Amino acid sequence: MSAEANHKKIIVVLPAYNEGPVVRQVIISLLKIVSTVIVVDDGSAVPMIRQLHDLPLVLLRHRVNLGQGAALQTGLMYAKKLNPDIVITFDADGQHNEEDIKSLIAPIVANEADIVLGSRFLPESETIVPLTKRIILQFARIINFLLSGILLTDAHNGLRALNKTALTKINLTENRMAHASEFLFEIKKHKLRCKEIPVHIRYTDYSMQKGQKGRDSIKVLFDLLLHKLFK
Amino acid sequence: MSGIQLVLITGLIFIGLYYITRLKKRLLDIVLLFAMITVGIVFALRPNITNIIARDLGVGRGADLVFYISILIFWFISLKLYARIRKLEQQVTGIIRDNAISNAAELTDANTH
Repeated sequence: MSAEANHKKIIVVLPAYNEGPVVRQVIISLLKIVSTVIVVDDGSAVPMIRQLHDLPLVLLRHRVNLGQGAALQTGLMYAKKLNPDIVITFDADGQHNEEDIKSLIAPIVANEADIVLGSRFLPESETIVPLTKRIILQFARIINFLLSGILLTDAHNGLRALNKTALTKINLTENRMAHASEFLFEIKKHKLRCKEIPVHIRYTDYSMQKGQKGRDSIKVLFDLLLHKLFK
Repeated sequence: MSGIQLVLITGLIFIGLYYITRLKKRLLDIVLLFAMITVGIVFALRPNITNIIARDLGVGRGADLVFYISILIFWFISLKLYARIRKLEQQVTGIIRDNAISNAAELTDANTH
């Protein structure tokens, strides 16, 4: 990491729900890069403290399962108290590459963006996205554009970096997966400077099974419509 | 009085009683409730009135008109309920979040020992 980035206090927020052993590997690799990892156990059936008790991290636990959006917001709220320079959101299923954090925070360190979003569809990403996922995500980014006015290359990428301004302003109220679009609504609402950076996604059997299925996109769409309706 | 009229009127009266005992006793609610029950009972006793209104509105039968209006009311109530559920969900989220944050565990390597 660059000398400038080394002086920044970087925190990773990692929402997790019923994760398998891979989450441990993800956290260990993150701890090599950043000083603080906040894991939000979103009401897992077996409390995650059992598999993570020996790692130096902050563990928050929702008493019941609320959804990834709620877990992220809880993590972000706790992160605020620690007064970081940059907060990264990272998925627990091993699909993200911790090496991408370096390029993800670069625009924030250079003060070119308030929030940086990872994209698997930018050419340098070198990610081969399965066909059905590609179709759904293309559809989703157009829906996002229609609802938020922001056209991105990716729609539901869990890897993001927020600076202090973004951390203070962004407030997620969508508990489930519609939070990904809510990020865009918040960016628009608070006029945050936003940038996309290519990131690599690892599609493993585990992350595919944990990840969203095609039918979930209908639920997200429904949540989004309700969100707009009951603003 | 035919069988169906008896069933409908009894049903309406029971619904009315249920709401009066359960609902917040705001004047507007009571007036609305009475108006709706009265209209319901009148329609049940004189189904012909619905036919006349339906024809004036360009719908063939009174029963069809009642069905169409029921669909609208159903949608309205569904949306109201969704709004309520979302509000409840936000409240629950707030409580669970506060609980999670105040019980945060800051683990260290030392926990291994």
